Amino acid sequence: MACLIVPAVALVLFGPRMDDGVPADRVVVDYWEKWTGHEEEQMRELVDEFNATVGAEKKIFVRYVSTSSIQQKTLIATSAGVPPDVAGLWDSNLAQFASTNALLPLDEMAAAHGITESTYKPAYWRACHINGKLYSLISTPAAVALHYNKKAFHDNAAALRAAGLDPDRAPQSIDELDAYSKVLEKRTPSGAIASAGYMPLEPGWYTVATCAYFGGRLWDPATNKITLTDPAVVKAYEWVQSYSRRLGKDAVGEYRSSLGNMDSPQNPFLSGTLLMEQQGPWMANYIRTLKPSMTGDRAEDCDWAAAPFPSALPGGKQTAVLMFDALVIPRGAKHPAEAFEFIAWINQQKNMERLCTLHCKNSPLAAVSKEFLTKHPNPYIAVFEQLASTPDAYTVPQIPIWAEVDDELATMTQRLTLQNVDARVALQESQDRLQAKFDKYLEKRRARGDQAALAQSLEQLTASAGDSRDTKAVHP
Amino acid sequence: MTSRRAEWNNFVKGMIFLSPWIVGFSVFTIIPIAMSLYFSFCDYSLLEAPLFRGLENFRTIFTDGIFWRVIGNTAIYAAVALPLGVFVSLGCALLLNAKIRGKSIYRTIIFLPSLVPMVASAMLWMWLFNAKLGLINMALRALGVAEPPAWLADSKWAMPALILMSVWGVGNTVMIYLAGLQDVPRELYEAADLDGASRFEQVIHVTLPMISPVIFFNLIMSIIGTLQVFAIPAIMTGGGPNRSTLFYTMHLYDNAFNFLNMGYASALAWVQLLIVLALTAIAFWSSKKWVHYQSK
Repeated sequence: MACLIVPAVALVLFGPRMDDGVPADRVVVDYWEKWTGHEEEQMRELVDEFNATVGAEKKIFVRYVSTSSIQQKTLIATSAGVPPDVAGLWDSNLAQFASTNALLPLDEMAAAHGITESTYKPAYWRACHINGKLYSLISTPAAVALHYNKKAFHDNAAALRAAGLDPDRAPQSIDELDAYSKVLEKRTPSGAIASAGYMPLEPGWYTVATCAYFGGRLWDPATNKITLTDPAVVKAYEWVQSYSRRLGKDAVGEYRSSLGNMDSPQNPFLSGTLLMEQQGPWMANYIRTLKPSMTGDRAEDCDWAAAPFPSALPGGKQTAVLMFDALVIPRGAKHPAEAFEFIAWINQQKNMERLCTLHCKNSPLAAVSKEFLTKHPNPYIAVFEQLASTPDAYTVPQIPIWAEVDDELATMTQRLTLQNVDARVALQESQDRLQAKFDKYLEKRRARGDQAALAQSLEQLTASAGDSRDTKAVHP
Repeated sequence: MTSRRAEWNNFVKGMIFLSPWIVGFSVFTIIPIAMSLYFSFCDYSLLEAPLFRGLENFRTIFTDGIFWRVIGNTAIYAAVALPLGVFVSLGCALLLNAKIRGKSIYRTIIFLPSLVPMVASAMLWMWLFNAKLGLINMALRALGVAEPPAWLADSKWAMPALILMSVWGVGNTVMIYLAGLQDVPRELYEAADLDGASRFEQVIHVTLPMISPVIFFNLIMSIIGTLQVFAIPAIMTGGGPNRSTLFYTMHLYDNAFNFLNMGYASALAWVQLLIVLALTAIAFWSSKKWVHYQSK
């Protein structure tokens, strides 16, 4: 027996160890990120560069872990007291995490690294703040634009002109978008939709932001009221519903169920079954990979184009929908200072532009180099940069119960399009349900003794809403 | 004295051997269950310490419209999928128990789907139910149905689609029934034959009573299974359209991990446990009238 036990114990104590590649003299910063595939590899390139340069100099080693369901794993790890030092959350998680004190404020560290309001484009900077505190910086951002099939526009030039529309440009108002869509859509002899001009539910990721193009807001932070019955919000959802009413809910259902996945050649925009849709700048990568015949090095050579999504705002004023991947430091992180060194390094213009070029996204930073614009894989990057610079652009509303609001609105949209329920009625019902939930949330916060914090945040929000009411009318 | 010491030594040894299970069961089952009971009376988001709020979570449950919606959906699913599952699996088992050629091949075919991973099954059925390209609608069109349902995309048809799909994985249950059928004594059939009972009468008066303990076991497992349905609808419909396939466990999961209402989710879990206990108790109570054990 002893002849077995002794070697086994010796092996455990003195045997070979797994090499995790961490140099002995470094502080290890654990970084969890949501990306997989190419995006993971591209971020890893930057992490490796950090470890080889600044990391080596400052004795920091970033250990990068790609993980699915990032918000849930970060949540559980944080609650267990063993969070990563840096987590790559979604922008929609920020208010929820920040309101439960799960994130470290970054204001002082950012200021110490020279990252200030002027570093960022204004809408992104605003969206990184919750109740006046900076809780996140950005890894990669996106702006949403109307993508349209230029070739289909030219193929249908005569019909478009007959309807008084210009086949050489994108629609510039919601009414025009509807008119283009009607001309471009094709039906089979049985009445099924063979190809659609535009479909508000496709890809469906941005339906919740539609109100921005109508000047509506989903939440008023000054009064802590959800505002789904705001006339502009009602108008936005009536517009979303108008498509299924006009085309027929069954026809729309059948059409949508036949569409392929985003990351496949059956992607409806690539297969020509959807001629206009909202997408982020990454779409250029999908087009290049999955349907190279649609693209070229220069915008003129492409069969597609990107333009600002039309709005129904007075005077045809443009607005934009923005989103981003957030870099945060969870409460309880072991090495916050070292973690911020890495975040700050990513936010240096050179590194940020490199990452955004690799991911085919626009930059969140105010300063953009000429090289970024000329060498970017998206030939329409200037459009996205312009949209990203819109000061009053829509970003995810910073309401702590956003997950519930988003879920409720997704269900409500299904009711509108599948059951033809009156938009005003459906929105009122959702409003009542969500307001009750939000009131309950506020009451729970008060029960936790957060009156002071609530009053303070309310004061700050009231002040900021008052300051910006004229210029931020569309920001929910 | 010596025997008492020996007994004590045996007890200690027994506990040492049992300790891995006791520790594991306590840490991963008993303690979490006890904590979830406490959390059900608290405002708890996982990220902050639980704050005791008495019965508030339970009061909220019964005034929440979505709770009643998920109760309705789960009840409908259970009320149809459960008897359908019992009927289909029992029917298959009876057919597979008959003396026919190639019996083992049929048994394999029936059992095979239950070996397919759940996610793969869900993806497969999503394509089968596809309104435009799905094989089911193609077959319906070939049979002259001009406008077949949109299945998962239609709030009226999504639930029937999921119920139909639930029958796909009856292979395990069929095998349990088959084992039960093998145990029915031959002489009972011979006696029934002599008394002039038809095949159908033999099934009703001999087979079903004799395998009633097996039916009862499957019924209890199905009650628990159908009331906890989660993965397949989560993958195939995400609870939609318009919450028509949002089931109890999905609602619980959303509250726990998406909305960070862990206290409320714990209360939902305890209500679910009470519902399952009540239905199981009813099943046990009713079993006295229809379950026959050979030993009695």
